[in-house]
Amino acid sequence: MDIFEVIKGRRSVRRYKSDVVSNDVVDKILDAARWAPSGSNIQPWKFVVISDMNLLELVRKVSPGYLGETPLAILVCSDREREYRVGGTLGRDYLSIADCSMAVENMVLAAYALGLGSCIVKSFSRIAVKEMLEIPEGIEPELLVIIGYPAHKPTPPARIPIGEIVYLNKYGEKFPTSLER
Amino acid sequence: MKMTEQKTGNGYLFEIALFLATSAQGCLNEPPLYGPFRLLDALSKLADFPDHATGLAPDPFLKEIKAIVDEKKFLVMYDVDAFRKAIDEIVEKLVKEMKKRYIETK
Repeated sequence: MDIFEVIKGRRSVRRYKSDVVSNDVVDKILDAARWAPSGSNIQPWKFVVISDMNLLELVRKVSPGYLGETPLAILVCSDREREYRVGGTLGRDYLSIADCSMAVENMVLAAYALGLGSCIVKSFSRIAVKEMLEIPEGIEPELLVIIGYPAHKPTPPARIPIGEIVYLNKYGEKFPTSLER
Repeated sequence: MKMTEQKTGNGYLFEIALFLATSAQGCLNEPPLYGPFRLLDALSKLADFPDHATGLAPDPFLKEIKAIVDEKKFLVMYDVDAFRKAIDEIVEKLVKEMKKRYIETK
């Protein structure tokens, strides 16, 4: 699949089939994640793959943003201590989130290319998730990626017109483009 | 694969308690419109309560409301005006039902 098709075709899916996601597919998603760029190449990410159905159900119960039921979720955490050690406060306070977000984008694009649906969830109880998944101090849960085979194809939401977000040379100067939306 | 365990009334009540508490925690920092969104989601979950609790009669009206909620709640992500309108419509239906249940039958 062409990369632009993947970027434009991916949607946040909120209804899933119960089909299991195979281990080799999970491996591909994780491999895509770890090849994401990161500030100073710190690679601060840690991934907790949740495939145990009982645990998934518990995580879902404390995650109001976990909509739908999936056979798989991957919690993406940042190693804030390592970020601070290598990247200082900029690393700890900003890059850790940016780096994990870039890994997550790779994950959801890879998932879509492999025929899966996904949704990025931030609305989860950090305290509850840390407790249930035994996340140690210094490791911060950033985003939960829920993954499964989609049971529907969401309609693409509208984009803000390009003229409102892109400028040429100076902020506010019109950028000539043929893009409509 | 079994995606959801068989829930007892108490188990389901506890699940709703978890949902409400973690939603309250989230609503402290989340976009303001997530508040109404979570409340609608809670309404949807409450409509299923008779399925899990003994001694509660099925309520087809609430199931009908649940179906509308589940269809419309995601409007919050891409069409806020339609989301607001959907809430108004849901409340309107509930009020009509309230009149039917508490006034017209007296």
